[in-house]
Amino acid sequence: MLYRVVHQTRYTYSGPASTSHNLGHLLPRRTDRQKLHQLELRIDPSPTDVESYQDYFGNDVVVFTLLEPHEQMCVRTQSWIEVTAPALTQLDTSPAWEEVVSSLRRREDPDAFAALEMIWESPFVDTGPEFAAYARPSFPPTRRLLDALLDFNHRIFSEFHYDPEATTLATPIHKVLQERHGVCQDYAHLMIGCLRSLGLPARYVSGYIRSADAPADAARGSGAELVGSEASHAWVSAWCPPYGWLDLDPTNDLVPSDQHVLLAYGRDYDDVSPLKGVTLGGGKHTIEVQVDVRPTQTLPASTGPSASTGL
Amino acid sequence: MLRYWDETAGSDGNTKPPWEQLIAALERLGKRELAARRAHARRIIEENGVTYNVYGDPRGAERPWVLDTIPILIDASEWQVLEAAIQQRAELLNRLLADLYGPQRLLREDLLPPELVFAHPGFLRPCHGLALPGNRYVHTYAVDLARSPDGQWWVLGDRIQAPAGAGYALENRLVMSRAMPELFGEFYVHRLAEYFQAYRAALAQIAPAGCENPRIVLLTPGPLNETYFEHAYLARYLGFPLVEGADLTVRDSRVYLKTLSGLQRVDVILRRQDAHFCDPLELFGESALGVPGLVRAVRAGRVTIANALGSGLVETPATMAFLPGLCRQLLGEELRIPSVATWWCGQQRELEYALAHLDQLVWKPAFPGPADTRVDMLVGDTLTRKQRQGLEARIRARPHRWVAQEKVALSTVPTGDPGNLNPRHMVLRAYAVAHDRGWTVMPGGLTRVSSRGDSLVVTSQRGGASKDTWVLAAEPTPFVTLLPPATSPEEVSRRTASLTSRVADDLLWLGRGTERVEASVRLFRAAFQALADEPLRVSDLPAPESVRLIQCMGKIPSPEETPGSLQERLLGALFDRTIATSVGHSVGEVHRLASVLRDQISPDAWRVLGRLDSAFIGPSAHPARRVSATLELLDSALLRITAFTGLVSESMTRGLGWQFLEIGRRFERAIQVVQLLYHGLLEGLPEDSRRLELVLSVADSAMTYRSRYQTSIQLPLVLDLLLFDELNPRSVCFQLVRLEERFSSLHRAPLEELRMLLERLRTAQLDELIALHAGEDGRQTRAELARLLEALDAGLPALSDALTHAYLIHILPQRQGPSFRPAKP
Repeated sequence: MLYRVVHQTRYTYSGPASTSHNLGHLLPRRTDRQKLHQLELRIDPSPTDVESYQDYFGNDVVVFTLLEPHEQMCVRTQSWIEVTAPALTQLDTSPAWEEVVSSLRRREDPDAFAALEMIWESPFVDTGPEFAAYARPSFPPTRRLLDALLDFNHRIFSEFHYDPEATTLATPIHKVLQERHGVCQDYAHLMIGCLRSLGLPARYVSGYIRSADAPADAARGSGAELVGSEASHAWVSAWCPPYGWLDLDPTNDLVPSDQHVLLAYGRDYDDVSPLKGVTLGGGKHTIEVQVDVRPTQTLPASTGPSASTGL
Repeated sequence: MLRYWDETAGSDGNTKPPWEQLIAALERLGKRELAARRAHARRIIEENGVTYNVYGDPRGAERPWVLDTIPILIDASEWQVLEAAIQQRAELLNRLLADLYGPQRLLREDLLPPELVFAHPGFLRPCHGLALPGNRYVHTYAVDLARSPDGQWWVLGDRIQAPAGAGYALENRLVMSRAMPELFGEFYVHRLAEYFQAYRAALAQIAPAGCENPRIVLLTPGPLNETYFEHAYLARYLGFPLVEGADLTVRDSRVYLKTLSGLQRVDVILRRQDAHFCDPLELFGESALGVPGLVRAVRAGRVTIANALGSGLVETPATMAFLPGLCRQLLGEELRIPSVATWWCGQQRELEYALAHLDQLVWKPAFPGPADTRVDMLVGDTLTRKQRQGLEARIRARPHRWVAQEKVALSTVPTGDPGNLNPRHMVLRAYAVAHDRGWTVMPGGLTRVSSRGDSLVVTSQRGGASKDTWVLAAEPTPFVTLLPPATSPEEVSRRTASLTSRVADDLLWLGRGTERVEASVRLFRAAFQALADEPLRVSDLPAPESVRLIQCMGKIPSPEETPGSLQERLLGALFDRTIATSVGHSVGEVHRLASVLRDQISPDAWRVLGRLDSAFIGPSAHPARRVSATLELLDSALLRITAFTGLVSESMTRGLGWQFLEIGRRFERAIQVVQLLYHGLLEGLPEDSRRLELVLSVADSAMTYRSRYQTSIQLPLVLDLLLFDELNPRSVCFQLVRLEERFSSLHRAPLEELRMLLERLRTAQLDELIALHAGEDGRQTRAELARLLEALDAGLPALSDALTHAYLIHILPQRQGPSFRPAKP
């Protein structure tokens, strides 16, 4: 499926802001399943400098600085991305979950050893026996990991109440677990914390989900709206050999196929927040985020990286 | 019964010869003399303002440094062994970091458990894979060493994040050389200056390629940090600007120091701030402290940070359990000095062993928590049964977060007097600095001793003392100073160090503060002089004029605000620091600014302000003090203030720092005189010569007046002297002329506005005032004078603000991030 994705973040300041340093995880990651045809990044006002590099997890990061006084800042990406549904072929050979836990440290498989990095606590995701206990009913002894993951994904979807008002970025996951509500980010952090507490690697995925009102939905007769389509979305990626990293979206109770567009992955939100910055002055600021993910048939006339930023 | 190694005892059980010699020398000095020497040392420390900030101390927490005047002696052969071990360990930890922030081969080869990296919040992923000069992570290193009952040295801990204490060691040496000079004649003691010379050279060496004359700064978290004294002390000693995060900015991946003369490139940062707080953009999502973009500058290779960001990772005691294997792998040799026995509970066998011996071990978190939830170590045998059960449950829930260590029976050293020596347990902190050929170890260190004989806890946070550490040489050691040798001729330099905007701001306010204190002290002194003559026994007697002047000026709280007699309220206005308008409050503020500016003002000037501050606190400031004692205190306070301004005018180079201090003083003096004239001559007080005399004396111009005019005191002459006389250093006009001079040399100062104000003052014709005064009832004189004083009263603070805006804008950065709150479906 080919998508045209527009992601715009606009900051409005109550007073003039002077120096502003920013870092964005806004450039969609290229993977086997995701081909980036074209990408444009517009920053208004024009930054003094822009550069891009790969972070620790291999995501493309953009950093830029504004030095002139400004009262607004708008960061807009437009990209054409082709997403392929995963070929979930080897799933029936999924081993028992305890087997996966104990195989990680054997250092036989470099990918499995690398996955080990995703089993410990991180800034937004605590681990511990209480999280393991919540996950346990989905993980009886010797159950195949894949079955356990799908069951657990469904349980979070059905046992938690989606409530954008109930939590903030600062709500810790033990509170989310206690009160059983939150948004996609809380669902993802909680699921990751539970899987890690069992010794299973899980990482946080930042991305987009196909917009609800996209005409293609009507054409296909799919009336179901996907939650999280009007802003950035977040889901989970769990280590599930022999397949590898398997995406799970507990907010929508599904395994993402070609409706999800990947931006970046890391240990949690802190590693991959779409745009963060430090600004001098500016007084109070308000933020407006718009995301639009639409299927399209055609690529724009010019291809290749945008000339305006050199990215 | 535990036995301890006695540092003074040789292997034969007898006292070692150098210790015998030391004790004999102390005995020769005698008990009385030693007590005097100890008092002397204490006084030097107090006057130098050597402090150690204690976290969580409600009293503001500046604790004087404690030095025991008996040094600890370490002989040459023993030191050689320690030196080699310190060099080995520093290099080992450096190589370990280079692997963990690079290929991570050691994790794949199972020489270090991955948890100790991946679960450690100090593993800073944005700093992984950066190409650092020489692939070096550790530049300065500190290590805590202790000796067990069999005489074996052990490592208790490694300090890499911000290896503190070398400055205190240096200060201890300087205090000892002044308090106990003859002891240095008994021994050949290794000097410390060489080490700091190597330290400075090493930091200059690590500048990014192509830096001819690297600019090195010392980055401090600020005055609230526990070792801020040391940051300021080292910065001054080494000649590096002392900066806080807000003093630096990153432009185009280069780090610059914000100074009054513009941005100046920074090449090397000696870091005393925890790495987490160094770059709010990349390192810690919750903080606005630090320098946004700093990691970018490191990534671009345009600045070197010592120690490297992220190097605190290997400080965890858990690392110690794996050092023997790592040493073999990385250096191909055995660890020279073992670490104290350590069990990391992330391993099943170690967990079970440690839990089985829970009450005999010391427990520490494997990973540092957030600064506000610092967990101290837990000593197993001090816990109740219930506490032990609680601890075991916590450990079992998250075993990889815990480390158990053996409790070391620390060796003892003598403290106190020769006649009455008390053994105390000790820990030695040693220091090393890296250069291109290896490591230089400081020949000495910081020895800390427990506060009680039965305590094995040695920490400055709990009030233990310190000792100077003498490494003995076989022959005299050459004298080294940090000033360059005469053989390298240097061009005469008149360049004054650049000044950061923050420091300029602080200097301006220090100038204003000292002047405000002086004006208030003069006013209160006049009041207490009057009280000494006619005590306020009966409340319905009219208060002396000077007291009423203070009331007019709003410097005494009203009876509604603070109940009590007038005299009590007067004393409150003088000493009570909880009252924002009190003199004591201003004195405290001056002292606070001076302590932030330790690297800007001379030690003598600092001492003077320290004494001023202590005069205004403590028992002597109690309201019950009699009038005469208060008068005495005010007299001496005035002397200290004038000593300070004298030191500033005679010893401070006329650089930008002096300019701002001077500007602050001139502004405040003008403001104070204007207010004195306004309240003293236009408000409330009866019009007689006593009023004029009071104003003259508070403005310190009575003598000038008397020497100039033999007549009685007349209003026009007083006004001339205090407003218009350009020769009287107390007049408003004098201050404005000085300000004009200063503003002329600062490009962005509001010179035009100042000139307009000066013009307004000069055109207020004295003749007219006199003529008016001679008129019918003087009412017009008063109106004209009031207009002039009001114009000055409004104009002066506005000018000060304009200057601040032009030069010293201080806005703290704020964080922003999109709220991650998708709309409801």
